[in-house]
Formats: sequence, structure tokens, C-alpha cells
Amino acid sequence: MNDMQFLTWVRGPGLDIAVGIFLLGVFWRLFEIYSLGRKKDLSAPRSVSGASGWHTIFRRSLPPEGMLGKSPVSYIGGYTFHIGLAIVVFLFAPHILLIKNLTGLSWPGLPSQFVDLVAVVTLAAMVVVLVDRINKPVKRYLSTFGDWFTWTLTFLPVLTGWMAVQHLLLPYTTMLAIHILTVELLLVFLPFTKLFHAFTAFGSRWYNGAVNGHKGVAV
Amino acid sequence: MPLDAIPIVVINAAAKQSGDEAGLSGNAPVLLREIAELARRLLASGESSAIDLRALPLTPADLDWLRETLGQGQVAATLEAEGESTLSETVCPGVWWVTHRNETGAVVSEFIEVTYFPELLKAHPDDVQTGLEHLDLLISDLS
Amino acid sequence: MQGSLIDTLARQGITRRAFMKYCATLASMMALPPAAGRAMAEAMAAAPAATRRPSVIWLPFQECTGCTESITRSHSPTLEGLIFDAISLDYQETLMAAAGHQAEEALHAAMKANEGKYLLIVDGSIPLGLDGAYSCIAGKSNLETLKEVAKGAAAIVAMGSCAAYGGIPKANPNPTGAVSVSDIIKDKPIINIPGCPPIPVVMTGVLAHFLTFGSLPEMDAKGRPKAFYGETIHDRCYRRPFYDQGKFAKTFDDEGARNGWCLFELGCKGPVTYNACATVKWNGGTSWPVESGHGCLGCSEPDFWDAGGFYKALSMPADPLKIASAAAVAGAAAGVAISFANRGKKSAAKSAHETTTLADLEK
Repeated sequence: MNDMQFLTWVRGPGLDIAVGIFLLGVFWRLFEIYSLGRKKDLSAPRSVSGASGWHTIFRRSLPPEGMLGKSPVSYIGGYTFHIGLAIVVFLFAPHILLIKNLTGLSWPGLPSQFVDLVAVVTLAAMVVVLVDRINKPVKRYLSTFGDWFTWTLTFLPVLTGWMAVQHLLLPYTTMLAIHILTVELLLVFLPFTKLFHAFTAFGSRWYNGAVNGHKGVAV
Repeated sequence: MPLDAIPIVVINAAAKQSGDEAGLSGNAPVLLREIAELARRLLASGESSAIDLRALPLTPADLDWLRETLGQGQVAATLEAEGESTLSETVCPGVWWVTHRNETGAVVSEFIEVTYFPELLKAHPDDVQTGLEHLDLLISDLS
Repeated sequence: MQGSLIDTLARQGITRRAFMKYCATLASMMALPPAAGRAMAEAMAAAPAATRRPSVIWLPFQECTGCTESITRSHSPTLEGLIFDAISLDYQETLMAAAGHQAEEALHAAMKANEGKYLLIVDGSIPLGLDGAYSCIAGKSNLETLKEVAKGAAAIVAMGSCAAYGGIPKANPNPTGAVSVSDIIKDKPIINIPGCPPIPVVMTGVLAHFLTFGSLPEMDAKGRPKAFYGETIHDRCYRRPFYDQGKFAKTFDDEGARNGWCLFELGCKGPVTYNACATVKWNGGTSWPVESGHGCLGCSEPDFWDAGGFYKALSMPADPLKIASAAAVAGAAAGVAISFANRGKKSAAKSAHETTTLADLEK
């Protein structure tokens, strides 16, 4: 298989399989999670201002008081790479074109040099949070295989995409194909790993907030 | 059908974009630094060098800007060999703008040469020898 | 022919300066520093034409003659044409006057007289299906002819994408079982000059190198001369700045197309195509596909015909997604089925008054 055949495979059958598994997993897990249901809470709700699901969704996007100073790497690094990922994934012109082709939706992109810069910052932030995870004994103790694995899954597409654009290490064709392949791996594993928080984070936050709000606790 | 009946017109990318940077890619100003570096090298070691303008992503507007910025110096030479070539010094002595054209007048290659004198203009000893033989012939015809 | 190449040229009215100019332009096209152009001019000028004038045999196989057409349009009268005079083209079906037995005789005479020294140029792919019966010349299959002529060749030039990679004949479903020269010949130096057709000056550049240095130029992993195929179309494209600025033509007749913006979204394969079109251009430097407003087809890359469509951007899926919606439905069905199972389990646990243990919570 030469590099052009490799590229055509990842753009064709490979993408088909990856998107297929991704959609299968996402629908499966969403239906399963949201159908779990809870017993009806018969107690009278206590109303306290600021205690509701929607408040919690917003509030937990911000660091609690004092935590930013105690754990700056987690917060700043986390913010940086999440926002960076969103910019790189959704505002790079070739990516928008792919989304447009798959869904019909499109929006204006950003200049590639800017996206390039954001990619570098994102990569740096991800390396920093990884080093932090390794260095802090508590974080390292709490980390499982899933954490290392999902970090790799997220890191590789950004790295290979940036290397393809920069023409590093391998010819562009090969690097582009590897980039698409790593994205496909990400798609395949996303529904079945902790990366599924992309779909569930806000839902579970709302749920926690709503339960606590019922009890009159603003969290 | 007359040509102007076709409702498609060519808009010069440079003219069209007068709003933003006049079609300039930003690649041209960087070249000035490189030329300066090559000129320094020429002074330091006497080594001639050249920049192949066809090998760089330059828009027509970039080339115009560069040509205008470097300006026209005192020396300009024209070479008639399988099409016209022009070698003209810019306002910076030692920096030459070299354009090679084919018989139909299309530009086939374009360089900025940083040299005391372009190699192409010098006569080759073998050619001087041929010329000398011709001169001898002329002289012998006189007698 | 006696004397050096420059003397040969001088007899044809080509001055040293015209020759130097040609070499400078050639060096520019080959992306070599101008100093290399001068070195090349000196080496070629001094090269004794008589000893370095190699015999060239050009074999056409499963091809459309487009490569020959391209070479003959190497904008005459140019020096490229004269470089041709400096070689002895002993067999070229399209250009030679001889036909039939005479042509075969010329071929075998040239092979015998220059055994081990001649340069073999091949254009077209070689069909292996039906024992090679899809393409025969003089009663022999292309496979037989290639093996026979390659045996005594000093080097082989695979001219065009068909000879280099199989090209259009090899396109899916490859009815004739077409393969490239390098799929068959393993024991000779082979240089690939892909393109559909290749750029004329790339061929003459490689010949010039062979004349000058007596060997093939430096090649990349796909057997192409690095000088011409060292960089992608995209990297050398004059529209590249628009790509970097995120300015794209969306259709062939919109504002962006008229302003000469990047053609990436219209399916340009420039980013994955290694060729010299962006610098050398076509038809004597008149224009080239992207300059005329059409994206690169990627014709100098292997299997360009099956690379997912000429008008699909590289970041788009090569084929429509077939299993995606079925997978979504299957996933939803699985989710619903499991949710019913979970509910059943829950109500069973409830009616049995099972207590929740710590082990349950840690699941």
C-alpha cells in the first residue's frame, strides 16, 4: 500500500467504519444512560436561589474559590487545551469543510497561521497537564490506564495534524493519512472511554445541580 | 461571440485587494533581509549568490513591490540569446535583477543576483580566443 | 560528432551565453542553487560530445502517446531540442520513419551495438492479464519486449505515470492487469518521471543530468528525481498565501475564484502532489492548471485516478459514508434493549428487597 492508497483508505472505508462505530457507541450509551431513571423524590423541594441544574452547569465551569491558586496547572492547563482543541477542531478551514460535507453545516474559519499557533499552545498545555499528572503523587495514584490512553488518543491527532501542516518527519501525504487515522481511533474509542464526557459532562452536571437544588444546596 | 460578451472578467488580484494589503502576501519584505545578508556575505568573502524568485511563493503584487522597492540603478544590460534577458543593477550596487525570457517573450526564470558583476556578462576565455582569431582574420585582410 | 558539447552547439548557432542562460533556467526549474547551474553549464560544455552521446531506445506500451506529445511540444526551437540532437534516439515508434521489420531491425541493431550502454525510456504500463495479450508489438507481448530490451540497458527511464506507477490502465478495476516498469524490472537503475503527461523539461533535465554526469540524478523514495519532485505543488503554488489566509474559492465562478484564491475546497490535490508544475509551468512557461483556475488532479502520484474524486477536497470523505446511519440506528436499538434489561433487573431487585452493597457502588 503506497501513501496515496493509505490516504484514500483513511478518507474512505476507514472514515466510514470509524464514524459508524462512533455513532453506534454514542447512541447506545446515551440511550442506556438516560433511560436509567431515578425513583421519584417525594420530599418537598427547598428553594434556595442559585441552587438549580442550570446554575451548576455554569458554576462548575469556573474554579471554586481558592482552587485556582492551589491547582493552577489543572485549571489553566485544562482550560487552555479544551479551548485550544475547540478552535483547532472547529475553526480550521479544512475541518469545517469536512463537517460541511458530512452535515451540511458550515461557518467561517480562522487563518491557518493562527490555528497553527493555537495547536502549538494546545500541545504544550497537554504536555504540561500530563507532566503534572505524573509528578503529583495523588494524581498519579488516581490515574488508571484509561487516563493515559485517552490522553494519548487526544494528543496524537493534534500532534500529527500540526506535523502534517509543518511538513515534519514524514511527507505530507503520509502524515495527513496518519493524522486522519488517529482521529478515526479517537472517534472509535470516544464513546467507550472517559472521553464520552464530551456528551455527558453537562447532563450530569445538570442532574447533580438539580438534585442538590431540590435539597436546597447550591453547589 | 466577441470576447467581452462573456460575462466573466479578469480582476487583478492585486488591484482588487487594494483594501487589504494590495494583494501582498507578506513574503516580499522578508526577502530584503535575505538580500542584505547576501550583500554582507559578498563584502566579507567575495562570494556571489542569487535568489531564485520563481522558487518562492510570491504573488505578482509581491514581485512588483520588490522591483519598485529595489529601484533602478545605473547599469542595465540586455542579452539577446534565445530570447531577451535583462540584467539590471538596482539602486543598491551589487544587487542585480535578472530576468530571462524565451523567444516568445515569456519569462522563463527570474533571479536576484548579489554579485560585483554577473557571470553571464563576462566573456569566456574560449570565446575571447575565438574573437581574437576573428580579429587576426580582419587584420590579415587589411594587408 | 566530435569536440565538446559546446562546440556542437556553437555549430548550430548557440552561443555560450545562451547555453549558460539555459542552464540557469534549468537549475531554477530543478530547484538547484544558481551555483549548481553554473557547474552544470561548465560540466556539460566541456563534456566530449562524441563519447557521451548515448543511444536511447524508447518503448511504448499501454499508453496514449500523450507523453510523446508532451515531449515533442518542449517548446521548440529550444535548447532542449538540441540536447536531443546530442543523443541518438534509435527507436521511437511515433517519431521514427522506419516501420515494420525495418523498425524491429533498428531496435535490435541499436541494442546490439550499444549493449549495456543504452538508455531505455518506457512509456505506458505493462499488462499482465491473459499472458500479456492485451498489448503486443511485433508479435511479442509488452512483458517479453521489456524484459528483452531492459537486459542490455544502462538505465531505464519510466516516462509518465503509466510506466512509473501503472497510471490510468491500472485504475480500478484494472481490467488488463497493468503494472509499472519497476514491478517487473528489479535489477536495473530505474528513474520514474511521473505525470500525465510529465513536464517536457523534466525529461530533458534528467537527460541533461545523464549526459553531464553519466548517471541518474538523486531520487526520492518513489524513484523520482528529487530536483523536480522534491516539493509539493501546494508549497510552491503562487496561491499558497491565500490558503494561509483562509481565502478559498467555493465554486469555479464565485468572487474567490475570480480573485485567484486557493482552490483547496474545489478538490485541488496540490498538497499531496509532488511535481514541478508550479515553478516550471506548461507550454513554455505560459501557464499551468492552477493558474488557469482548476485544481491540481495529482496526476504524478500513484493511483491518482482512484484517490477519491478530482473535485473533493482532501479533507472530505473519499466515499460517501454508507454504514453511518445504520450504525446510529443499531446503537440506538442496542441502547433501548439494554435499558429494558436494566429496568427489568431493577424491578426484580426491588421486589426481592435486595440491598445495595459497597461492591455495587464500585462497579
